[in-house]
Amino acid sequence: MAREIVIEPVTRIEGHAKITIQLDDDGQVADAHFHVTQFRGFERICQGRPVHELPSIMARICGICPVSHLIASAKACDQILATEPPPTAVDLRRIMNLAQVVQSHALSFFHLSSPDLLFGFDAEAGGRHLFGVLGANPQLARDGVGLRRFGQQVIESLGGKRIHPAWVVPGGVDAPLQAETRDQILAALPEARAATQRALAWYKTSVRRFAEEAARFGDFPSAFMGLVGPDGTVEHYDGTLRVVGADGAVLAERTDPRPYWEYLGEAVEPWSYLKSAYWKDLGYPGGVYRVGPLARLNVADRMGTPRADEELEDFRGRLGRTPSSSFHYHHARLIEILHCLERLQAELDDPEILSTRVRSVAGINRDEGIGVAEAPRGTLLHHYRVDGDGIVQWANLVIATGHNNLAMNRSVAQVARHYVKADRLTEPMLNRVEAVIRCYDPCLSCSTHAIGQMPLHLQLLAPDGSVLDECKR
Amino acid sequence: MTAAGVLVVGYGNSLRSDDRIGWHAAGLLATDPRLAGARVLAQHQLVPELAEDVSRASLVVLVDAAAEGDPGSLLVRRVRPRPPTPATWSHHLDPETLAGLAEVLYGFVPPIVLVSVAAGSLAEGDRLSVALEQALPEVVEVVADVVTGQHRA
Repeated sequence: MAREIVIEPVTRIEGHAKITIQLDDDGQVADAHFHVTQFRGFERICQGRPVHELPSIMARICGICPVSHLIASAKACDQILATEPPPTAVDLRRIMNLAQVVQSHALSFFHLSSPDLLFGFDAEAGGRHLFGVLGANPQLARDGVGLRRFGQQVIESLGGKRIHPAWVVPGGVDAPLQAETRDQILAALPEARAATQRALAWYKTSVRRFAEEAARFGDFPSAFMGLVGPDGTVEHYDGTLRVVGADGAVLAERTDPRPYWEYLGEAVEPWSYLKSAYWKDLGYPGGVYRVGPLARLNVADRMGTPRADEELEDFRGRLGRTPSSSFHYHHARLIEILHCLERLQAELDDPEILSTRVRSVAGINRDEGIGVAEAPRGTLLHHYRVDGDGIVQWANLVIATGHNNLAMNRSVAQVARHYVKADRLTEPMLNRVEAVIRCYDPCLSCSTHAIGQMPLHLQLLAPDGSVLDECKR
Repeated sequence: MTAAGVLVVGYGNSLRSDDRIGWHAAGLLATDPRLAGARVLAQHQLVPELAEDVSRASLVVLVDAAAEGDPGSLLVRRVRPRPPTPATWSHHLDPETLAGLAEVLYGFVPPIVLVSVAAGSLAEGDRLSVALEQALPEVVEVVADVVTGQHRA
């Protein structure tokens, strides 16, 4: 008799989810699904609202990465206004986005994943949390809290508040950067860089313990997608959308990534509110690709900043040109933090960053706009249609976690096939199934646009659908 | 005399009527000459990132709404550090855990005083109730007294 395991809720992720593991008649794992069980529907909420309100409304999708939604939304609005933000406004938007990548990656790596990496996946779940880290490795905990604080403070100093700042507006930003604010950010950068480099050194030593997990946590060939700059460097605000295959060969290079329907499909499954994006050329469900920090490193020729480039060279020296295991998202996340800090320094060292010309003003000049940017978790697209008065008629959002949905499901199945050997749930098995999801740092509030908490529900199901065992946290 | 080294944090959900009392108090205290030199913040909630600011302060005054009590009534009390626990999530902390986190992470906790104001309404809304509008001047006076040493919790 085939059976099924259900893990619900999934912990230390952003949002509500459950995992089901289906067993076959021989008790072996036949399939596994990552279900997103929450729904919010921002694409409907925004209908009927003036388009100028959308950046602020869309930022409410997420309390962790509101800046990404602000930026993608404002870029879509720029297109509807048929206006280009002044160069300084573009740089200021970029600075805020870089700060957000720092704080979000710090939350993912230090608060959510470092307990697994410090204590191991066989450790008691009760001790694997940030405050456990605080007791065992206070410097690591301090660095995590400090890096998140740094990113949040940069966002707050630019936008007036750290969550849901309304400073990014259609046509640019709401106010120029003050010299005092710039100097405060610059003064904090050296310690932030030092904290990141300490974490990288610690990670590279610690990861040796997890060779088995690295070979099982979503290690399969897939495409990778992300923005790159004109010189092939990692890009978070704007650029060419590049897709590479498992061997690193470029499959596609979209100079204008906005007509996403030409190359991406969005499938809907009855068991999840999270859409499954796929690469159209490869079809569904075969068109699996990954986005986010690992993908950005894999698609880029180089990082484009000195220390991060050294780390990328080391990363590729250890793991190859295009690492295929999602376990390496953790390492990629740290390298990206370092890159963002270096990029922040370069942006703030430019005297033009204090220019007071930071906003272009225009009316409704187009009935459609698409904004594309890189959020911490991957490529983010906002697509709006408006009427002649600028009232939103339709919206579609393609979110990083949706891009990764097929890969996450495949990863859960891979981990389950290796670690699930019985009709009962064991703690090490449960830990690893959760941890592979955590590699992707999914944001379910973003991807279904829902209010987020962090529960996990795992169910073990028989072939007839009856629940053999279940676990809730 | 200045209030250099003093940290005042007014916190609460600014879209939940009286829960925004901390924001109103912070707005007034930021320009109050008795608090010259103090750092005044308005926050939605207490978060781990505040622990370093707390550890660097000579005195911390927190202003928050309370769900119980006669609307507008004030309670002033010292906050004692409590060690962080697994149940404490990274999104927000209570005052005791914030103090505990500052102690564990940075090795120092200054005196922390919580000024809590009983709310009349925590429903959705961006205005204070009449009772808390009337209590606001007293909240500012109490915080100023705590900072200048005239009120001891």
